[in-house]
Order: sequence, then structure tokens, then C-alpha cells
Amino acid sequence: MTVYELHQLTKIYDERTVLDIPDLKIKENRIYSLLGPNGTGKTTLLNILGFLEPPSGGKITYRSKPVRFVESELQALRRDVILVDQFPILFTATVWKNLEFGLKVRKISKGKRTRMIQEALDLVGMRDFALAQAHKLSGGETQRVALARALALSPRVFLCDEPTSSVDVENQAIILNILKRINQTKRMTIVFTTHDRTQARTISDQTLVLDRGRLLEAGYDNIFSAVPDLNSLGETKCVIHPNISLLMDSHKIKPAKDRFRILIDPKQIHPLRKAGKEFPVNVLQGIVRQVVDENSKIRVVVDSGVRLILLMTEKTYRHSQIFVGDSITYYIPPQAIQAID
Amino acid sequence: MDLLIDSFISAFFLIFSFDAEMIFIVGVSLKVSIASTLIAGIVGVPAGFMIAFESFPGKRIVITVLNTLLALPTVVIGLFVYTFISRRGIFGPFDLLYTQKAIIIGQVILIIPVVTVFTITAINRIDERYRKTAMTLGANRIQTAWVIFREARFGIIAAIIASFGRVISEVGISMMLGGNIKGFTRTMTTAMALEYDKGAFILSIALGIVLLGISFGMNMLFHFFQGRSRA
Repeated sequence: MTVYELHQLTKIYDERTVLDIPDLKIKENRIYSLLGPNGTGKTTLLNILGFLEPPSGGKITYRSKPVRFVESELQALRRDVILVDQFPILFTATVWKNLEFGLKVRKISKGKRTRMIQEALDLVGMRDFALAQAHKLSGGETQRVALARALALSPRVFLCDEPTSSVDVENQAIILNILKRINQTKRMTIVFTTHDRTQARTISDQTLVLDRGRLLEAGYDNIFSAVPDLNSLGETKCVIHPNISLLMDSHKIKPAKDRFRILIDPKQIHPLRKAGKEFPVNVLQGIVRQVVDENSKIRVVVDSGVRLILLMTEKTYRHSQIFVGDSITYYIPPQAIQAID
Repeated sequence: MDLLIDSFISAFFLIFSFDAEMIFIVGVSLKVSIASTLIAGIVGVPAGFMIAFESFPGKRIVITVLNTLLALPTVVIGLFVYTFISRRGIFGPFDLLYTQKAIIIGQVILIIPVVTVFTITAINRIDERYRKTAMTLGANRIQTAWVIFREARFGIIAAIIASFGRVISEVGISMMLGGNIKGFTRTMTTAMALEYDKGAFILSIALGIVLLGISFGMNMLFHFFQGRSRA
């Protein structure tokens, strides 16, 4: 089932568009990671998904029902979805009272509350801290209590804003394990933001990439700074390296600019057995530096003067027989290259 | 110098002998100050909370006006209230002038802006994430407001203590609206002013020591709660 459907969603602050998402579907029981540089709209998107902030335009449906951002309707939705902040804040009370808050608000009986709080504290390994003053905990402990406070409420959707950014490596591993476990055992849909691509790939079923408020379909990897190729005669070409000039699809290039950024879709890059006449342009050579199995896709890192990522199915990979250290030839179709600003 | 030392020694004797007149004066001062602080708290705390918590047109103007009222001189309030409660005033028939009630009315007007502004400051100092956290945990508007109020509680208590400190030490309103009538409306500050005029320093200094002691106690409490609110 689709939990969220976003259509033509925009968020504008002071006449600046910080979010512009034509279409996005978030499905039930899956883990989504949201990648992107700072200030790119990740937190704003989480706030909107958490029904804490209205969008400036567009439509959202939650579990097939359109969402109207009016206070009287939002409270019921907020009881389904919980957002844990990047730097979560705990109320000035004991850990127990912090966990009890959401349950009391939901008018859950005392006996049931006790059981749910204990379960949640056990899940994050913080049971011994139940009576500790929350504001005296360390950063990692605070993050874990904040997770427990949210998990005690068993939300359908769990939104986490950079859950591992402010904690040490040990706590990072603990938190990621918790996310994975609750997704598997409690069937929660999880959306979390991160800057760590490896982390995103390791635990999420799908990675969404935001760049200046827009979702990049092809991911985050092959983004290059480019300049127009002045030697190209009537063709739309760009230079990303002194030896690499790429032909672009004329529909995907933006007006002449001295410098712009391009995105090369890693799924559309084809490894070739050898350079042939059928591909007279955009054929490059490089050394394979890394091969990684990534959620049933194979990710191949190639050094061609610039570091390029190829993403292929297991079948294509087996067929191409690429190994680390091999010199390979590959073709980048013009339509795989897109100017992003 | 001898006058000062002798007056101080006599004042301490007066204090520790629990002089009846002095005790009565201190009692009147505490009574009117506590009453005015409570009334101002009942009005000012909710008003300050609403102003800080809600968004409405003209909010900044309201805060600017309240800030201006912090500097209102006590004699202006005395004069203003006098025009209402004197024989010829619209509340003249209630016979409020030169009563403890009159002092309380004036002091309430004096410190409502203090309580309100300090409450606004206390609420504004609360991290916005408390509101967001309460909302995402499913709290409705009233429950969210309660979370904010709880987090600001030490700041609000500090606001009330500061207001009490302001009224216990004011003299203009007590003199103009209370009339400094012995056995009725004589407060510590008005008594001190009178004793000074008479050239009798002992009671004046004794009351000054008591007033300073109360102010010191209030300040200790104020800093204790301010410290808690920052923790």
C-alpha cells in the first residue's frame, strides 16, 4: 500500500522555492533514506510528511486520503506519524515521564502504558535510565530516548531527521540496528535523512536524493561540474574533464551558462565489450576500482580521470564479467546526461 | 558617624524586640504586596503566555506598549488611579481612597506589565522544538501549550518574584493612594519617608534593614529560579 503520494508539491519561503517535487510515492513497510546537501529541503520535506508544516502548493494523500492542512484534521494524522528531530529535545522530566507523554495524550491506561514504556526502553537499551533526569543524558542517550519515546507510540510512519549525525560511531550502529529491527518486526515505514551514502545504501530499500529542493531520479553519485564545449560544432557538448567531452541530449540542456552541473544516470551507462562504430561518441575507458552488491543491483566504480558510477542488474553484471582492476570501455547515452542547474 | 552607628544599633534592638508598630507596618506592606502580586500574576501570566504563544496582528505593537509601560512612574499611576477613586472620581462612591485596596489597585497596574513582559520573555526563550515535539507526539493545542508552560515555569516564577520586589519597595503609589495613615495604610516605604521627615531615624533604619532583607531574599529566589530556567 502507498502511504504517501505527493503531487506537484512545493514549499516557498520568502519567495524562494525550497521544495519542488512533481511526484513521489512512499510505500508501506519500507525504509527510505533521504540524501542531499545541507539546505536542500530534507527537513522541510520531513516536516511536511510529519504534518507539522503545510506545503505552499500541491497535493498530499496519506493512505489514499487527501490531506487538508487544517488543525482539526491534522491531529489524528499526527498520531500515525512521528518525527524525531536531528537534535531531539527531551522534556525537563524523567526519561519515564518523557515516554509517558505521548501515551497519556492518547489516553492509554496506566497498566498498558507501563508495559509499552518498558518495551520501548528495552528496544533502545535504556531501561536502566528510566528514572534518570532526561536533560542530564549524553547526546547518544538522548537520541535513543527520543527514539524510544516515538517507538512507544507504535506509529505507522517513523520519520527521522539525521538520526546518527550527532552521535558517536557506537551509537550510530545501535540506532541503525534499531531502525532496521523496527521496520522488520513492527512493519513501520521509515523515512530518514542522512549525509552518509553508505549508511543510506546499507539499511534503506530506496534512496531518495534531494538537490536544491528537487528530487534527483538518478541518485546522487554522478554529479559533475561542467562547462560548455566551445569546439563542438552545432552539437550540445559539455566538458567535465580536460579529456572528457560528452554529447548531451539537446532537450536536457539548459541555456548557455559558463558553468553548470550535470547528472549522469548510473543506470543508463552501458559497459561495452569494445568500442565500436555503433557508438561514435560518449565512449570512455576506465579502470574498475570497486564492485559492490547494493540491494540486488551491482554498483561499479570506474576511474576515468573522474570517478563514475555504473549501476547494473545482476544479470547484466554477470554477462559483462567486470572485475576490480579491469580496464573497461563504456558508453554514456546523451539522454543519460541532464543539466541540473 | 555616631548618629549612623547609634541609629543602626537602636534599629537592630527595635527589630529583635519585635516592636509592635514596626511589625504592623511590615505586615501591611507584605499584605498589600502579596495581594497585588497575586492579582497581577493571575492577569499577567495568562496574558503574557497568550501574547507569546499566539500569532496575531499587532503583536509587536502590544509588546512595545508593554515594554514602555515598564517605565511607568509610580506617581503617574498614583495620580491616574486617584482621579478614578477620589470623591469626584467615577469610583468615588466606593470609598477606596486611602485604603489598602487603593494601594493594591495602583500596585497591580504597576506590575501587570512587569509580569506580562517577563512571562513573554520566559515563553520566547523556550526552544521551538518543544512545541514541535509535543505536536509530533500527538498533543493537541492545549496540551502543547501546557508543555511550553511547564518548560517555562521557572522563568514565570522569576517574573512573579521580580514583580513582588518591585511593589514591596515602591513608595509613590502607597503614599498617594494609601495616604500613609498610621495603623491602616502605613507601609514600610511610606513609614521610612515619614520618619526621615521627622528626623527620627531609628524606625526608618530598622524598616530599611527589614526591606533590604526581604529584597535580598526575593533576589536569591529570583536568581535561583532564573538559574533553573536556563538549565
